[in-house]
Amino acid sequence: MSLLEVAGVSKTYGSGHARVTALDDVTFDLDTGRLLAVLGPSGSGKTTLLSIIAGLLEPSEGEIRIGGTPIHLRSSREAAAFRRAHVGLVFQEYHLIPYLTAEENLLLVPHLDGRVGREDRERASSLLGEFGLAGRMRHKPSALSGGERQRVAIARALMNDPEIMLVDEPTAHLDTDRGRQVVDLLRSHIRGRDMTCVMVTHDARMAKEADQVVRLLDGRLATA
Amino acid sequence: MLAVKELLGSKLKFGLIALAIGLIVSLTFIMAAMSEGLVTGMTGAKGLLAADALVFQGDTFLALERSRLSSEDLAVIADAEGVTSSYGVGHAFISVDSADEPFDARAFGLQDRFDQLPVVEGVGVPGPDEAVVDVTAKESGIELGDTLHLTPIDEELTVVGFTEDRRYIMTPAVFVDLPTWERIYVATALGRMAEQSGGQAPDVDRMAEQVADGSSIAAVELEPGTTVADLTDTLAPDYDVVTPAEAALAGNGMPVMILAVNGIQAVSLVISALVIGVFFYITTLHKTGQIAAIKALGASNGFVYRQLLFQITVLVTIASAIGIAITLAAGASMPPTMAFDPQPERWAMALVAIFAMAYLGSLFSLRSILIIDPATALDRGEH
Repeated sequence: MSLLEVAGVSKTYGSGHARVTALDDVTFDLDTGRLLAVLGPSGSGKTTLLSIIAGLLEPSEGEIRIGGTPIHLRSSREAAAFRRAHVGLVFQEYHLIPYLTAEENLLLVPHLDGRVGREDRERASSLLGEFGLAGRMRHKPSALSGGERQRVAIARALMNDPEIMLVDEPTAHLDTDRGRQVVDLLRSHIRGRDMTCVMVTHDARMAKEADQVVRLLDGRLATA
Repeated sequence: MLAVKELLGSKLKFGLIALAIGLIVSLTFIMAAMSEGLVTGMTGAKGLLAADALVFQGDTFLALERSRLSSEDLAVIADAEGVTSSYGVGHAFISVDSADEPFDARAFGLQDRFDQLPVVEGVGVPGPDEAVVDVTAKESGIELGDTLHLTPIDEELTVVGFTEDRRYIMTPAVFVDLPTWERIYVATALGRMAEQSGGQAPDVDRMAEQVADGSSIAAVELEPGTTVADLTDTLAPDYDVVTPAEAALAGNGMPVMILAVNGIQAVSLVISALVIGVFFYITTLHKTGQIAAIKALGASNGFVYRQLLFQITVLVTIASAIGIAITLAAGASMPPTMAFDPQPERWAMALVAIFAMAYLGSLFSLRSILIIDPATALDRGEH
């Protein structure tokens, strides 16, 4: 069964002569447990697509369903609640909170839901351990390397045990080897948790590591 | 958690903000204390008289300097309906030839109720030819046990105690009993009259007789249920009746001064509020990316705004403590003659206003929080 359904999604900005089409009739499905790479050059609409799937942007046309639930019909408050419960987000710039330790950055996720219990602390500790960051739990982002920050950001996205992870350019700031390690890490966690992942990248080598690839060019799905 | 961690994680930044706001708070408090000091210095001895109402001679425009009440007047006032007790209060201009330098003062004769004077040193109840003096006279070298030589009337008073906050027109009040005041009053009045009559001595006996057992005004306590307006109706038109607070603010240019003082305080409060609001607005603007990311992770606008309100509360509380400490330190280093009178009620009002303005200023930040698009956490300018 498809966990993610993207059907005829278009996004336009402005009107008249100033009208810009960021996405044009994008359609694809993604099954549970699979890693999808959205590949395309800068300005192709990758981030817009990711933002629409996350419920951060409304599509001008089309539908987005996650687990059969429409995302595009929700208010911003409902979309935020849906993200807290079902979506894991990894930003290209990591966006770790600078004054929080690695562990506290993970605990931010349950904190947004108004609860931080022992179970949450154990889960944060366990995730950081899985990502090889057990010794860096009490470190703030400024004391972590780029790769470590990336892993903390991915661990944070896993804190709410999401059904779908949305990852923006996970290898943009990493060299090829480290980038490949991050993608391997993502893939192993997705399969181990029966989770689905959409990874935006402009790097074709990283896209090859994915189970499924969607190519975007000027906002449209490119054929092969 | 987030707000506390941010405060603790950026101690220097928020410490400097708290210090800056603290300085603003202290400025507001110092302005308030100085304003109050001016008012107290101008009117303390009159406005702080223990009474429900002060009764002046009619048509003297509530001027202590002009009002005269005879013993018959005092009897009429004491017997008026609704009055439970009354005592005469006399006022006279005096000059003191002290050890350091001569200074002007105001003699206040009290028929009763010396217990109303807060005693700073010595005793609070003077006997004949004795005086309880406002503590600011110490700046002119007056000490307990000194003899005040009043010029040019050649009267002498022994200082038996010091009181505080009892000045009038920025000069120290010298409290004496009513018979002593009568003598001083007659002597000073005779001096003036002698000047006016080209040095010819006026009729001393006749004048002393007129002043005997009288005073300048009467201070009265009212029965429960009796208002100042009731007593005004009873005593009009021969007498004017007001509360001590109203009397304090009447005459000597006080209405204009109060207007200026209130204007100064209002302007300092408004500027403080704007500066505090701008501080938090700037800190919010600096966190736009971070707020976008938190919102993208699922935080509501309410969650983000609550963090801001918590930080405002903590920082303004710390800043208020800093501001109060600075103000008290500034006050302690000032001479008693300085117009500086910290009033807890005024400070409480200023604090409430500062908190209110800080929260009001936070609405600018709320607006910027509301318009931060969480999608910008992902967006890097491409579509």
